[in-house]
Formats: sequence, C-alpha cells, structure tokens
Amino acid sequence: MSSTTASPADLAPDDANDDAPNVGLAPTRRNEARTAWSFSAPGLLFLLVFLIIPFLLAIAFSFSNARLITPLPTRFTGVDNYVEVLTSGTFWRGLLNNTIFVLVVVPVQTFLALMLAILVNRKIPGRTIFRTIYFMPVVTVMAAAATIWVLLFNPDGLINAVMETITFGAFAPDWLNSTTWALPAVMIVSIWQGVGFQMIILLASLQDVPDTLYEAASIDGATPWQQFVNVTLPGIRNGLIFVVTVTTILAFRLFDQVYLMPQSPGGPLDATRTMMLEMVQTGFNEQAIGRGSAIAVVFFVIVLTITLVQRRFIREEGQV
Amino acid sequence: MRRNMALAGIALTGLVLAGCSGDLGINRAICDGEVTVDTVTMFAHEGAEAGAISAAVDAFNQGPGSELGLTAELTLIPEGQYSDNINAAAASDDLPDVLDHDGPTMANLAWNGSLSPLDDCIPDDLRGDVLPSLIEQGTYAGNLWSVGSFDSGLGLYAWRSALEEAGVRIPDGIDDAWTADEFREVLVALQDVGFERPLDPKFWYGSQGEWFSYAYQPVVWSAGADLVTRDGEPTADGVLNSDEAVAGLETFQGWIQDGLVDTAAADDSNFLSKRAPISWVGHWMYAPYKEAAGDDLVVLPLPDFGTGTKTGLGSWAWGMSSTTADPDAAWALISHMMSLDVITAITEANGAVPGTQGAIDASELYSEGGDLELFVQQLDRAPDVAVPRPVTPAYPAITTQYRAVIDDIVQGADVEATLDGAVAAIEADIEANEGFPEPTDEASPSG
Amino acid sequence: MSTTDPAPRTDPGAHATSDPAAADPANDDAGIGTSGTTLRLKPSDAWMYVVMVALAIFFLFPLVYMFVSSFKPDDVVLSSSGSLGALWPSPTVGLENYGDAIERASVVRVFLNSVLISTLIVGGGLVVNSLFGYALARLKFRGRNIMVAVMVALIIIPFEALAVPLLFMGAQANMLDTYAIQILPFIANPLYVYLFYTFFLNIPVELEEAARVDGAGPVRTFVSVIAPLAKPAYATMAILGFLFSWGQFLWPVMVTRGVAVRPLPLGIGTFQTTPPIQWGDIMAYAGLMTLPLLIIFLIFQRYFVQGVASSGVKG
Repeated sequence: MSSTTASPADLAPDDANDDAPNVGLAPTRRNEARTAWSFSAPGLLFLLVFLIIPFLLAIAFSFSNARLITPLPTRFTGVDNYVEVLTSGTFWRGLLNNTIFVLVVVPVQTFLALMLAILVNRKIPGRTIFRTIYFMPVVTVMAAAATIWVLLFNPDGLINAVMETITFGAFAPDWLNSTTWALPAVMIVSIWQGVGFQMIILLASLQDVPDTLYEAASIDGATPWQQFVNVTLPGIRNGLIFVVTVTTILAFRLFDQVYLMPQSPGGPLDATRTMMLEMVQTGFNEQAIGRGSAIAVVFFVIVLTITLVQRRFIREEGQV
Repeated sequence: MRRNMALAGIALTGLVLAGCSGDLGINRAICDGEVTVDTVTMFAHEGAEAGAISAAVDAFNQGPGSELGLTAELTLIPEGQYSDNINAAAASDDLPDVLDHDGPTMANLAWNGSLSPLDDCIPDDLRGDVLPSLIEQGTYAGNLWSVGSFDSGLGLYAWRSALEEAGVRIPDGIDDAWTADEFREVLVALQDVGFERPLDPKFWYGSQGEWFSYAYQPVVWSAGADLVTRDGEPTADGVLNSDEAVAGLETFQGWIQDGLVDTAAADDSNFLSKRAPISWVGHWMYAPYKEAAGDDLVVLPLPDFGTGTKTGLGSWAWGMSSTTADPDAAWALISHMMSLDVITAITEANGAVPGTQGAIDASELYSEGGDLELFVQQLDRAPDVAVPRPVTPAYPAITTQYRAVIDDIVQGADVEATLDGAVAAIEADIEANEGFPEPTDEASPSG
Repeated sequence: MSTTDPAPRTDPGAHATSDPAAADPANDDAGIGTSGTTLRLKPSDAWMYVVMVALAIFFLFPLVYMFVSSFKPDDVVLSSSGSLGALWPSPTVGLENYGDAIERASVVRVFLNSVLISTLIVGGGLVVNSLFGYALARLKFRGRNIMVAVMVALIIIPFEALAVPLLFMGAQANMLDTYAIQILPFIANPLYVYLFYTFFLNIPVELEEAARVDGAGPVRTFVSVIAPLAKPAYATMAILGFLFSWGQFLWPVMVTRGVAVRPLPLGIGTFQTTPPIQWGDIMAYAGLMTLPLLIIFLIFQRYFVQGVASSGVKG
C-alpha cells in the first residue's frame, strides 16, 4: 500500500505549477480543471488504447466477414452478421438465461450481502472471523472454484448427500446434467463466490452512517425497523447503487462458470448458455470474428440500455 | 509500447475496412538437403508422452541436430488449451517451424495456410513404413501435410468374468462384433446379474476436447452414414441427418434412456472396481485397466450398427509450418520424431499404436498375438473398419456440432431435430467459408 | 485466521465522540470518519450466532473440501465425496499430490510469473484508477458527468469482446509472449475507477478544504489526506484486481506460448488432459492457486473496513 501513496507525485509533472497559485487560496476553476485532466490522463490513455480502440475494432469487424485465420479475402458484409445473430435461437436462449440469472441473482445476492454486512457490523466478539470467512470465496480463483463445485454437485457428491438427508431422499437431482437444475447450480456458485465483495462495499457504507443519526432516531423513539428504513438505507444509498449496478452488469457478463462447470459449455441442452459464451464460442473457438463481434455489440447495447434505465431511477448523491 | 499498440490499432482498422486478403496458394516446402539455419522451433501438446518428446528433442540436439549444427527448441502446451493457442499463434504469424496438431485439424490448418506439404521432404522408404491409416489422415487436396509418431485404437474393454457370469457370447474379433441389438441384450443381461449401469462411456471426459467426436462418430459410420460428403465441396445435409444416422444415434440414445449406461461417473473407478464391467474407450486406458483386471481383461470391437464395426483412427501428428525459414531443418526434426527409437519411447509412454510398421513389429502389445493386436487389425483395414474423421477444412465446425449433438441426445433431445440443427450450423459455416475451395499451386504466391 | 486481524475491542467510550471531522487522517488506523455501530437491533446474540455459523459453514465447506481432497489418493477423492468423510483427510497420501503438482507443471516458474504480472497490474492500477476516480468524484471540469456515464458503459464491455482485436494489435506491435502484453491492457479498469469514484463521493469535503487552506496542492492533498482515507477502496481494488489477474485464463492462452512468461492458471491444464484423471493432483493445484491469494487477503483484510469499532481509536 505504501508505494501507492508515494507514486502519484510521479504522474503529475505539473505539480509545481499547480501549487504555486494555491498558497493560502482556494484553487481557481481552471486550475482545478487542469488538475482533473492530469489526474485522469493516465487512466484515459490506458482505457483508450486497451479498451476503446479494440472495441471500435470489434465494431468494425462486426460489419465484415472477418475470420481469425482464413485464406479468403475479408469483405464488408453490411448488417449480415447482425441479422444472423438476431435470428439465431441460441443467442436468444443465451439472453433468456442471462435475464433469468440477473432477475434471481441480483436481488438475492444484494439482499444476502446486506444481511451479511449488517451481521458482521455488529459489535460482537468474533465478527472479524466471520467477516473473513464470508469473504474467502471471493479470493478463490474461478477455475479452482468451478472444479470444486463440479465435484460437490456430482450426483454422488456432498451436496446431494446433504440434500438426501434433509429431504429424506426426496430431492437429489443430477444438478449439472439436469436442464432444470444446472442454471440454479451456476447461480449458487456465483452467489457463493460473489456475495462477499458486495458485503464489503455495503459494510464500508454502513460504517459511514454517522452514529449521531441513530442516536437521534433512538431519542425520537424510532423502532429498529424504522431506523433501518429511515437511517440505514438512505445512509448506504451510494453503496447500494454501486452494488446493484455492478452486480447487474457482471451478471450479464456471466461466462467462466458456464464455460467450466457443465459437461459441455452452456449445457445441458443450452440450459446454461449465456450471451458471453455464445460470443466466445463464435468469435474465437469457431473463428468467426465478424459474427462474434456482432454479438459483442448487441450485448453492449442491451446491457447499456438496461443500465441506463436503472440509473434513471437511482442516482448517486453528489452527482450533478 | 503503448504507442505501438495504438498505432497498430489504427493500422488494423484501416486494414479491416479496406479488406485484407489472404490467398489459396500452397506454400510448397522445398527440401534441398542443406540446413541453413541453426535453430528449429517446435510446439507439442502436453500429453502422456510429453516426457518422451522432451527426451527425443534432447537426443536430437545431442545427435543428428549437432551434426547439422542445429538446435531444436521445444515448447510444451497443455492439451486443453492447445488448439486455441495455435489458432492465436497462426492468426498472429507466430507459429513454430514444427507444429504438433490433432490429426483431424490438419485439413483446416492446411487450407488456412498454416502448413506446408511434406511431399518434397519425406523419403519414400519412410512413406512406405508409415501406417496407411496415418497417410490417410495426413492427406488433403492431393498432398501429404502431416505424419504421426503414433496412431490410436478404440474399442470395448470388458471384464471377461462379468460377461461369463451374464452368460453372453464374447466376440473373437472384428468380423463377429456384437450387433447393436445384441449389445443391448448384453447390457441387459449384465444388469440382470447385478451390474446396475454396466456401460462406462467416459462421458465425464467432457465435450470440450475431441473425445465425443472420436468416440461416437463410429456410431454414425457403422449405421451406414457419415458426417459430411468426402469428395468435392463438403455437404452435411442428407448425410449427417440421413435416416441411417438418425437410427444409429437413436439406438445409442435408447441404451442411455433404458438406464444401461453410467452417465454420472466422474472418474475411472466404475470400471476399475468392476461396477461397470464394459468400458467404451481408447488405447490409453489399457495400462490402468490391465493393472486392475489382469488376465480378466478383454478388448473387443465396438458394436455393429448395421454395416460392420467401425472405429476412429488418427491422433496427434507432426506438420511443417508454412512460415518455416528452412524446410530442411524442420524436416530433420520431424524425421527424428519418426525414428524407431523415438516412436518406441513415445508409444511406451502413452500406450498408443506405433506409427510405423517397423515400430509395430518391435512392440510386444501390438504385434501379432499381443493384447492390443485388435487395434492394429482395425487400422490395417482403414478406411473400411478404422475410419478417418472427415479430412476437410470444415472439420472444426463439424466436430463442434457433433460434440453438441452427442451431449444433447445424451440429455434426451430428439435425435432428428438435433441432427437437423447441427446440419444447418455446419452448412452455415461452409457457406461462410465460400465452400472451402481447395488450395492449389496456381494461386498467387503469398502476399 | 484471527491472528492477522486486530482483535475487536469493545470500547464503551467509542460512542462518545462522533464528529466526523475529528478523525485524524494522519493516523493509519483512523476510520473513514464515523463510528461503525449500526442498527440497534438487539435480538438474542445466541440466535445471531446460529445464523452466522450456518452461513460460515456454507461459505467455508467447499474450500475445506478442496484442501482435504488435496491430501487424498486420486481415486478416493470422488468416492469419498458422498459422506462427511469428504471433509476428513483420510485416507491420506500426505504431500504427495502437492509434489506431483509442483513437479509436473513447472510451478515455481509460473508462480513467479503470476506474482510479477499480478503485482504490476495491481500496483499500476491502484495509482491510475484512484487518481481517475478522484478526479471524477471531486474535481469540477467540463465533461465530468459524461465521463462518469462513459465509465459505467465501459464496465459493460467484457474483456472477451476485446481479446481478438487486442491479439491483432499485440501481434502488430510485436509484443506477443511477453510480460507487457499480459500487464498493460489491465492496468486501467473502469470498474475500479467507478469503485474509487463511489468511495470518494462519500469523503467529507471539509477535510480537503482544510488541507487546501493549509497550502497543500492537489497532489499533496490527494496523497496525504484523501488516499489514506480511501484505504478500504484501495484494499478492495487490490484484492479484486489481484484475484482477477491471478485467475486470467483466456488471454494468456492467446498470447503466451512457452513456460517462460506463462501464468499459473494455465498449468491446471496439465492435469486435465491425460487420463486417468488425478483428482488429488487437481485439487492440490487448485489449492496452490488459491493459497497465495488467501494469505494476501488475510494480511490485507484489516484495511478493508477501517471502522472505528474495530480500531477503537476514537474512544
């Protein structure tokens, strides 16, 4: 951590210039803008080269028949790729699965994260141990986590041993080979692995809520529930917005789990196919970069629209 | 560097918009017998034989390599990521001189210009010694593009005592393989004597590698169908979704739906502990199975779905990259990989069928009277019994679709509809590649 | 586990002061500025512990299963999975699986590669992303709101969509099979910029103003006032960034060839190819991949949430 606090100075060559007029004065607007740009410059540059340019390239590919390796000439093909993508059953199946996944995972994971954050925010002995444990899955590499859970979800595995005991043998599906239970299995793993991150964000937000507010509410005779609704929720607003926004986007980007866990990626019978999986298989495994890029663009437009709609209803405080 | 990347990006945008062109010319390697470089690079997949390959490269550097003033550099790449890795290398002009590749991907690599033909380099005596099945696998558009140090075998392994307990006939060889109906009765009889799910199909290998295609294409062949037409422009329509293919795969699906197949296993313990006494798998399981079953182990041909038993052939093989600076250097290394000692070492490590007749004669397991003689007999009757997976540049799309077909029908999907879907996808890929026109010597030289 | 974490101190005086401005930014242990107590819900603690323990079991058992399995013979891993024996290392082969994993996959080399790559990505990322996030949250300049919106839009673009264009760009720039090609594309990340942005929005403006009145320029204000307050954000990005780069798979497959610059996760492929399957070795390799991250996390997690309640400083 110490290196990070020292190094920003290296990145702002106009440090001295900025300092000069500031002595004893509030900075002017122009100075502030200049500082802002110099603070943003490294990030902007990296994002431009490694994110924006490649994405523009992908957009260009999407209007061509480009392939990864081919002896044939690359041609402009207009919107052919888009027509193909939008009339493909597997793409819509992917979108449907993504939608189901988002509608289940975002609320469940956010609620669970809030519950965990509240639990470990209480001043009770052992809370750091619990906080640590709840976060541990987050630091498990997905390739490892997927391997573990595949064994756990085996019909003769530990999950079903527990299920059979609890339900007296009534419920013990072959999770990953069942068109009904494969997606729920992926959801369980995703929540298991992801909820700790949200918990930490919400925990940091919870700790930002001033004690005085609770004290005031307490004096006014507010019940715990009223305190939660009127003090806690507004207090953690920014954290909640971050969590919901990011969880939604990451849920749409679901790929690793559905690539690694089922016997075949997206299986059985496309029950776990997602838009991302469709994109990677088309664009890289099948080498059809043009069509793969078209999927990427369609994906981007869909998720951007959803995010914009989401943000029309909720805005960060402090955003003008 | 960042600026380089940015410039590269802008340059590429121009390239994409202007339309970059490849060409369909064959980049013919000429071996003049003189080695003019001092290093030769090679990629190999990291399979069971990886140690033997490393040792062979070391031996090359100390022996024939040093005589030629040539050093070989080997890069081992895990099998699961191998094809993605070489595709990325090919797309970015980053291929090594000698390229290990899974047999059926050869035609695509040849078509897309990654490989050079070996015809000018391979001496006649070696060509004559390489198994005909491997020549079959390595030939596309009238040229030989690859040779393998080993071939493969696929069959049914069984516990003889279990079959005897069930009172079923045990086939003697290729010509009296169980028919598909008879095989079903065998499985039912085994179930009757207490083996709950008697057939181990190794579904847990997963459908990401070649397994589903290698293991279950013989069902379609044996039923009298194929995946695509083999001559001219490939077509799957009317072939992969023909009545014969549908019938064969429905029979196969029936065994699963009747609960005769252990679909849930995730390791080899079902066969090793005799819970599932028949295993549908390749040569690589011989050693562990022999250790578990001893003399009780029998190796049988796959069931006959109507036109005789069929099996897969081919495996990883060596090719020469079209970007190699000196074909003589690349060939010197490939030639070393095809020498008797190296083939023997490699096949001792992975248990595969040796790639030359000379090496088979030297093998205890595969020569006449050996435990795995069946696999050699199958290969000797290629392409009649052992059938090469379709040698066409469309193979990557074909295998992707076929694996999905197997996966789906195992899950209970309707066979005919599934095959129609796969055919449509394969046809779309063929169309997107303009029918995969064959490369020729006439096309313009590389540009 | 708890030894790396400051023991929670119950300090009755903690509630006494709660003026946010009283937080001392120079003190390493200072919190974000307010007390960490939350809901005054007081159901019986016993009931609460039951819930917490049940949740702990849910989060922990897969990891326990992984480590336990990594000490078992290959063919026992699966067959012992259907009972509580799955969570007990018996029969055991000791460290044999770890030995196999290390020997077969050049673990030392690829491990050091991964450490180097991940450290540089995270180190660079902490600086670049936090500066950017701060500018967006706190500094007034034209185009700021658009940039925040663009940042959220950029989060949507998955790396998988950029891989092929980036591969072509890397090839043109002659950067394949290098460390640089595995590091540079991941330094700036819109998700982390947005994370810092969200955190910086919450920091009281008074602190910066005080620093400015004292004559500090923007860089000094950032380094000595803002950054220390944002430790939870830095720690979160460090851990997420490390985790993400540590687990990278698709990109290294595309841009690395030999073992020279290959990172750790590609090695697991060594065990997933050649039958018979060696679940013990695979679990050991998974354990080797996970362990360094767990250790880093346990060391750094105290920065995660610098609540007053856990530091006790404010009492």
